[in-house]
Amino acid sequence: MSTKPDMIQKCLWLEILMGIFIAGTLSLDCNLLNVHLRRVTWQNLRHLSSMSNSFPVECLRENIAFELPQEFLQYTQPMKRDIKKAFYEMSLQAFNIFSQHTFKYWKERHLKQIQIGLDQQAEYLNQCLEEDKNENEDMKEMKENEMKPSEARVPQLSSLELRRYFHRIDNFLKEKKYSDCAWEIVRVEIRRCLYYFYKFTALFRRK
Amino acid sequence: MMVVLLGATTLVLVAVAPWVLSAAAGGKNLKSPQKVEVDIIDDNFILRWNRSDESVGNVTFSFDYQKTGMDNWIKLSGCQNITSTKCNFSSLKLNVYEEIKLRIRAEKENTSSWYEVDSFTPFRKAQIGPPEVHLEAEDKAIVIHISPGTKDSVMWALDGLSFTYSLVIWKNSSGVEERIENIYSRHKIYKLSPETTYCLKVKAALLTSWKIGVYSPVHCIKTTVENELPPPENIEVSVQNQNYVLKWDYTYANMTFQVQWLHAFLKRNPGNHLYKWKQIPDCENVKTTQCVFPQNVFQKGIYLLRVQASDGNNTSFWSEEIKFDTEIQAFLLPPVFNIRSLSDSFHIYIGAPKQSGNTPVIQDYPLIYEIIFWENTSNAERKIIEKKTDVTVPNLKPLTVYCVKARAHTMDEKLNKSSVFSDAVCEKTKPGNTSKIWLIVGICIALFALPFVIYAAKVFLRCINYVFFPSLKPSSSIDEPLKNLLLSTSEEQIEKCFIIENISTIATVEETNQTDEDHKKYSSQTSQDSGNYSNEDESESKTSEELQQDFV
Repeated sequence: MSTKPDMIQKCLWLEILMGIFIAGTLSLDCNLLNVHLRRVTWQNLRHLSSMSNSFPVECLRENIAFELPQEFLQYTQPMKRDIKKAFYEMSLQAFNIFSQHTFKYWKERHLKQIQIGLDQQAEYLNQCLEEDKNENEDMKEMKENEMKPSEARVPQLSSLELRRYFHRIDNFLKEKKYSDCAWEIVRVEIRRCLYYFYKFTALFRRK
Repeated sequence: MMVVLLGATTLVLVAVAPWVLSAAAGGKNLKSPQKVEVDIIDDNFILRWNRSDESVGNVTFSFDYQKTGMDNWIKLSGCQNITSTKCNFSSLKLNVYEEIKLRIRAEKENTSSWYEVDSFTPFRKAQIGPPEVHLEAEDKAIVIHISPGTKDSVMWALDGLSFTYSLVIWKNSSGVEERIENIYSRHKIYKLSPETTYCLKVKAALLTSWKIGVYSPVHCIKTTVENELPPPENIEVSVQNQNYVLKWDYTYANMTFQVQWLHAFLKRNPGNHLYKWKQIPDCENVKTTQCVFPQNVFQKGIYLLRVQASDGNNTSFWSEEIKFDTEIQAFLLPPVFNIRSLSDSFHIYIGAPKQSGNTPVIQDYPLIYEIIFWENTSNAERKIIEKKTDVTVPNLKPLTVYCVKARAHTMDEKLNKSSVFSDAVCEKTKPGNTSKIWLIVGICIALFALPFVIYAAKVFLRCINYVFFPSLKPSSSIDEPLKNLLLSTSEEQIEKCFIIENISTIATVEETNQTDEDHKKYSSQTSQDSGNYSNEDESESKTSEELQQDFV
């Protein structure tokens, strides 16, 4: 964790270098989308906090470790596209959890707010990924990756780890029969996960 | 020798025994299949293999499976004693994200050895099966309802709402295909011809997992007869003051319109009970091709809007749905700024616009600012466009009043939004540099001259005092000598006055100008002399007598 500020700094320098070497067209759209993404993500974090007055103390007993995959932190220069894809996946999974299971625990207006917010998040990420695909940014990023020495190269991140994580959450809800405590624990966990990805949105800014 | 022979025979026996045994069994050695293919579609696992030996008949095959990390092999139900070379089984109670291993063996009277299939993660191998499609026809559009092929699938338990779909559509007559990608489970295809049969097939995709599914079977539907009233077109949303303005085009006049909205996220989740198009009250039965409604109708989010026309008897079909993001279309407030005036320029500091009520204002929106300034007296305006919030307006005349107003623009070409101009703020520039210098010099001179001025004033005052208000007392230095003179003569007179002899009866007053010292010497001498005078020296007495006589 202590290497993160260094990592983010290195990423910023790498982006500046990329801007010099790669004569690509500026995509104002993606930059603007990123502004909205950060804003919406932060709002969602606040919604997740305000959905419940406080975490009930009696639910602490049932808390389990879901083991959020923190693979991005291990690499000095994670690929932006990988992070965006993972964030998109996470947004959809969280949307799924708060939409599909019929339950009476949350107030409807809170549910609506979080569903709106997560859908917005996913939309912005999807649009940006489409933009990147059209501009061949992922090809450029892959070429950049090849130029680096092998130990700095980031292997293709499969979304499998993230899915296993959400599978654990889903299983937990099913096992506990969607009890109130189970929902509280899941809410806190998803908030943790969202915050983890929120911190990476600072990397998406392109010069 | 005997031992060697014995050893040799046992060796031979051991080598021959299995062959003999198998010969006794009456068949060749069974080999397990060497290649097994695993296909997974939704929750169905399909295993296919080749027989290792075609000539041998009545062979059955069985499968076991093992979860990674476990030691035991479990019998795979549904794939035991299979005579053909294919078997199906469902997900069982597997965790589809965990790796599993399969093994197969052939059986007849005896069993072959196990052949282990390479381990795999079911989710990775899984393909998305054909989705279910339901169609509704309008005159120039088709509404498509898509749902996953397998309900409550174990494989796609986490992906119920994450599927995106793509389809291929063609006219039955022409066969020219059109592809539509990345659509949700409720979609409408527009701009079709009426009374035409269209056919389409749909496949699902999970883009983040690089999965593209299998096409559904082809579905065909015929569009209806052309409706009397066409749907409204070219719907646009803009912002004015605190309202949203919705405008559209319509070919006929004298129509009434109504507008409906829906949360965009419900497109991902059409099964939700909230999936209902709702009316906008301010836009019900409007007679113009526009309607205005306050911003607080919509909380922050993405919405879909649609418009319908009616002439009293008939209604048109719904227009195309437009997507409307309240944040991206938010009202841009004019910027607030401070001016710091110098003699030849203004420094303008632009700050965040003031929020009022529930107007959504984006703080970190990338903006550029247009600043217009003019001399208060003239009307000639000059413009500066800056990205920074710290702007310098140069080349101004000193001691002149200039007025400034500003507005913000979004940087994105696609959005192209501007705020209105802020109120004009007028400020006077400071005095110029040359007059400033004179001012400074003047102050310095004044400070420097001050002590001199004070001194000169003091002298002047003294002069005045002396001339107009003189003092009456004589000065002490002039008085002293006169005083002494007067006092000393009176004393001498008293001391000199004495009678030595009766020669002269007249007492002479001697006046001397001598100092006090001489006077004292003289008086002491004469007193002594008077004692010795009569008897002794004649000279001495003579002198005193002579003296006395001189004086007389």
